[in-house]
Amino acid sequence: MSEKLQTLIIEDEELARNLLRSYLKDQPDIEIIGECENGFDGVKAINEKKPDLVFLDIQMPKITGFEMIELLDHKPQIIFTTAYDQYALKAFELNAVDYLLKPFSKERMQKAIEKVVHHIQHNENNIEKLEELSNFRPGEEYIDRVVVKDRHKIHIITVDKIRYIESLDDYVMIYTHDGRHMKQKTMKYFETYLDPKNFIRIHRSFIVQVDNIAEIQQYEKESYVVILKDKDKTKLKVSKTGYKKIKEVLHF
Amino acid sequence: MKHPLTNNYKLLLYYVLFWGVISAINIILQVFWYNVPLTYSLLDTGTNYVLYPLMGSSIWYSIRYNSLEEVSVGRLLLFHFIAASILCAIWVYISFAIFKPFITEDNSFLENGLPSKIFAGYLMYAIYLVFFYAVNYYQSLKEKIKKEVEYKTLLREAELQALKSQINPHFLFNSLNSISSLTVSNPEKAQEMVINLSTFMRYSLMHNEKEMVPFSRELENIKLYLSIEKVRFGKKLNAEFEIDSHCLEAEIPNMILQPLFENAIKYGVYETTEQVTINTSCVCEGNLLKITIVNDYDADTIKRKGEGIGLRNIRQRMQILYNQPDLIKITDHKTKFEVQLIIPQKQAVS
Repeated sequence: MSEKLQTLIIEDEELARNLLRSYLKDQPDIEIIGECENGFDGVKAINEKKPDLVFLDIQMPKITGFEMIELLDHKPQIIFTTAYDQYALKAFELNAVDYLLKPFSKERMQKAIEKVVHHIQHNENNIEKLEELSNFRPGEEYIDRVVVKDRHKIHIITVDKIRYIESLDDYVMIYTHDGRHMKQKTMKYFETYLDPKNFIRIHRSFIVQVDNIAEIQQYEKESYVVILKDKDKTKLKVSKTGYKKIKEVLHF
Repeated sequence: MKHPLTNNYKLLLYYVLFWGVISAINIILQVFWYNVPLTYSLLDTGTNYVLYPLMGSSIWYSIRYNSLEEVSVGRLLLFHFIAASILCAIWVYISFAIFKPFITEDNSFLENGLPSKIFAGYLMYAIYLVFFYAVNYYQSLKEKIKKEVEYKTLLREAELQALKSQINPHFLFNSLNSISSLTVSNPEKAQEMVINLSTFMRYSLMHNEKEMVPFSRELENIKLYLSIEKVRFGKKLNAEFEIDSHCLEAEIPNMILQPLFENAIKYGVYETTEQVTINTSCVCEGNLLKITIVNDYDADTIKRKGEGIGLRNIRQRMQILYNQPDLIKITDHKTKFEVQLIIPQKQAVS
């Protein structure tokens, strides 16, 4: 390879960063272009510097390595690092992604880099793989927060702040008490990973938080709308199956 | 189950004494009241109150294998009727055989007494039946209670074992990674950390042996744990202690604090980029040791879903050890998270 891989290290622990830096120092293919201590800075740095390769720690303050992937405009090659995280390991194995288990040796790291070089030389795209990885949730567990990015700022929305979600073709719009945020995810994803005790898919286009429902009105025979608890008294259409689900959850 | 008479010498003694007294009364009555010749009285007593008790003790085996709960009433009655008849027949036959050599002239009284002798044989069988069933019931009850106690102790131990915290693998591997890094940049510090980690692990392995430890030891271990985490997190982790030195002698369940600090680090230090202070304070009031741990946390990024497994385990362990509710109090002040642990002491700490 003629050019060196522009490499970014995203890792919250200083000692872990030091080690990685010392390992990478004499690697001929690698040029370190930056280091980040948390996921917020990491997303910003990747989108701005557009590195070829990122060493990404999973467990980090603010947002995790997985959540970061959802916020990337530029998708570099990623070598994940983690100390111990059964959920992450499962995700890696299912998606055949290379990862380094801390503490790892220099030789092990070199192998991971060789694989990345191979992928780049053969123009193998990793976008799909990363997408799958970010959609993966272990077992029955429900998500407790969603990360979104509006132009420059990253927001962490804990699920209790979500009022409702509207589908917009390939995107969804998440409505909270202080605004709305667009996110590239499917309705199916939210329907599956939001706790159905608190969130109901009332219509093809809407998922609503149960506590946020003020009333349910009938406006035609067998046709209902949900009115939300907010100033504008937002009205959302309810489908037939949606109405059944509301009845089940609210017991009426 | 063994035969109660051979298994329990006290019961055997009472049994012998009981029939001895009955025999004595019988002989006295017969000889002095009814003027029966002594030989006859001895023979009569011997066959009735010595021979039958000897043979009757075998009735135990007939009840052992005919449990009242498992065998139907009809079968039970039939079985015992047959057993009583056989025993009675043998008893009457031996009794006659003993009597025979002593009776020279008229033996009609033997024949006349036959129906009452047979009746007595059945009656005795019935009395023995009631007696042995009662003994059997009593013994199985006692055994059941004993087993239940044993079972409960075992269960309690198993539960306690399960509730004790294990070293979090995430902590372990991250610490090893820090050490790996330090071997390059600062070998001396690496060595120090290896030693600290070993001491910490040794302490946590020890908790299989001892349930209670002095608070001072537990505190030492927590400081060790925090010093290891401090190497990883640097300035981000700030630990403060306000410990009343009187409390150091108090007894505390071992490794009960570690999960609380682990939580403080997991929800406090892991999730934020700012400095997090973990404040530990401790006072003794009467015979209560009160430990309070407060840590900062970023309420915007984490929605604490009530009690995690760590806190739940501690609550259950405290419940088993002290059989008292509310020994752990959790308060979420938003931005600060507080856990108070109350450890009852056998005597007041002064």
